[in-house]
Amino acid sequence: MDKIVAIDCSSEVIKRLTGLLGKEITLLSESFENIRNLQDFRMIILECANNQEGVLQRIRKLRYACYFKALPIILIKKEGNIDSIESYLSSGATEVLSLDDPPVACRQILKGHLIPNRKPLKEEMEYLDSFIKNTIYVLKTTASVETIFHEVYFASDFRIFGDISGIIGLSGEAEGTLGITFYWPLAQMIIARMMGVDEDHINAELIHDGVAEMINMIGGSTKKEFVGKPYHFEISLPSVVIGSGHQIGHAENTPIAVLIFEVNCQYFALQVCLNSKGRKKGLPH
Amino acid sequence: MKVIVADDSRVMRNIIDRAIKPIGLETIHAGNGQEVLDSLEIHGQDISLILLDWNMPVMNGLEVLESMQGNNLYQNIPVLMVSTESEKEKMDKAIEAGAKGYLSKPFTSEALMSLIRSTIQT
Repeated sequence: MDKIVAIDCSSEVIKRLTGLLGKEITLLSESFENIRNLQDFRMIILECANNQEGVLQRIRKLRYACYFKALPIILIKKEGNIDSIESYLSSGATEVLSLDDPPVACRQILKGHLIPNRKPLKEEMEYLDSFIKNTIYVLKTTASVETIFHEVYFASDFRIFGDISGIIGLSGEAEGTLGITFYWPLAQMIIARMMGVDEDHINAELIHDGVAEMINMIGGSTKKEFVGKPYHFEISLPSVVIGSGHQIGHAENTPIAVLIFEVNCQYFALQVCLNSKGRKKGLPH
Repeated sequence: MKVIVADDSRVMRNIIDRAIKPIGLETIHAGNGQEVLDSLEIHGQDISLILLDWNMPVMNGLEVLESMQGNNLYQNIPVLMVSTESEKEKMDKAIEAGAKGYLSKPFTSEALMSLIRSTIQT
């Protein structure tokens, strides 16, 4: 699969993109209203219109529809129509690109070379498997929900966007952070199941509290399995971030494993940012 | 019978509530260790059991245990630790400090009830 979707792009931009990408990549032009199944594409390209707030909203909706996958959203700007790219990046765009930039640089970004993701190494799966198993177990035991693990990828510079995140610091033999990020409806459903009440009874305070407890249990049950291993850690009290479209970052220079799970066709992401002091140096970041 | 359910998570206190209320236990909630000690001052000898989280703000579960052991009025009230801190070393530490049992989070209702029954019966 090497398909890219260009959303609401003018014929001029489509023509320039086609020239840059060559024949080996399929470029599909689509309107924002008609776009479906973003999972079928490896990149989303959106042309920057003059209505900044409208563009920001579209970026947020597209990022939401990526279900935590590291699907690059590239914003194409026309010369002079963007004052600051920060608002676009913080809404979920991966890169803002001008087609007047040197063709080599444009081509590299469009081919994904500047947005590196990688699959985990075998030895990284040693500790990630425990997080996967315990995430599924915690949700099964406390909320009676079946959780399906979908995929994991490593990103050295990835921002998770969501509505609510629980984060705990890890320290000891291994250091880092552990985070869980939900969109609101799934968090509400899980907390309601945990408490045995209707979703209508679940307010923001309870979701805040429940997400904190969830990440606490996932961290706690996983660390028990690492006793005597270089990945053993102690956990801090959890922190919670709430806000539509907020983004979670992790420590620099430590690879971030993003693990995507599904519950009833809704997705959430666990982020494991773990740096073992005893681990061999030289692993790719 | 009155039981203090001590956990900084309201959701967790509700989960425990749901599990133990069907057998007729009356629960008193505490959100941190200091609130446990405050509840003991108020309800004193009426308390039959304490379900105690380890990691709590203000005063943690281990500090509550140590404080209770130093008080003749409270040292015989059975305490069960219910915590994510579930390594053997931590469990041993809690038992040495006076806990009667230890349950790791997450737990099933059955596991909680079984531990409560065996603790109250002894």
